[in-house]
Amino acid sequence: MLEEAQAVSSGISGADIVLAARYLAAGLCMGIGAIGPAIAQGITAAHALDGIARQPEMQGTLFRTMVIGQAIAESTGIYSLLIAIVLLFVI
Amino acid sequence: MISTIFEQLAGNIARLGEKQIVTLQLGSLQIQFDKEAIIMTWVVIAILVLLALFLRRSLRQDVEDRPNRTQAAVDALIGLLQGQLTSSFSSEKLAKELFSFISTLFLFILCSNLLGVVPGLSPPTQNLNITLGLALIVFVISHVLAMRAKGMKKYWKGYLEPLPFLLPLNIIGELSRPISHAFRLFGNVLVGTIMVTVVASKFDPIILPVAVNIVFGLFFGSIQAFVFAILAVAYINVAVEG
Repeated sequence: MLEEAQAVSSGISGADIVLAARYLAAGLCMGIGAIGPAIAQGITAAHALDGIARQPEMQGTLFRTMVIGQAIAESTGIYSLLIAIVLLFVI
Repeated sequence: MISTIFEQLAGNIARLGEKQIVTLQLGSLQIQFDKEAIIMTWVVIAILVLLALFLRRSLRQDVEDRPNRTQAAVDALIGLLQGQLTSSFSSEKLAKELFSFISTLFLFILCSNLLGVVPGLSPPTQNLNITLGLALIVFVISHVLAMRAKGMKKYWKGYLEPLPFLLPLNIIGELSRPISHAFRLFGNVLVGTIMVTVVASKFDPIILPVAVNIVFGLFFGSIQAFVFAILAVAYINVAVEG
């Protein structure tokens, strides 16, 4: 019984575990890291739409401000993306 | 023909991480270049300069004449840029001074992002060095303009406000701006390239990769160029006013 378990476990080397951990970490990093920016961008777009519905003539200004706000909210998502890329390709 | 192009594209996925580095030895100074990015940057510059020379020739006409098609197209583009940019500057004077710089930035980034749609070409903005260079240009310009607008004494005093012990936080806040500015463009363009390569190598190479290419290359490329230009304006406004 013990010998069997040892034979199975010897097929998995330390490098394999590191590889699996890298892929898992990259997936988790992107998945969890995308929650915050998604919520923030949704709230920004919703309020911008409220504003446009109330004052359609302000559409140009509101759209521009909305894009700036979403771009800034996106930066944390971009940082987690970079960490995922570093995990996948660089390490 | 098409399948060979996409096989090439799928081959790109293997070399996404590696770069062709050229090393230049200048005396004791060693300079390293990414060959692909440098060549693509010069391609973008050449396209923009040739477009400008070509358009200038077709713009030579009397003021009274009816504008020809090229003139109408260029007028529409400049009008669009002016309408979006002029109203976001804090003052008329600033808008007059910086309009050409910001629109050049926009056109450069737009052109390089759109080049990424062509299979086999890589957009130069997927290299962090180039986006960081563009962001540093904006950073230096915003600080020089802030020094000029506020005067030296008030500019340096701005770092001690609202409270003197917040000086390190103020400095970090200033330095994080070009970094996030550069990473935003770089990350967006790089993930576009990665998505297109992954989808092209894993799925049916006719329909889906083309759609992904259009969404990431054309739509996000234009949006990111606009965001970069508008954020440059916003950073300059904050530096000059605040």
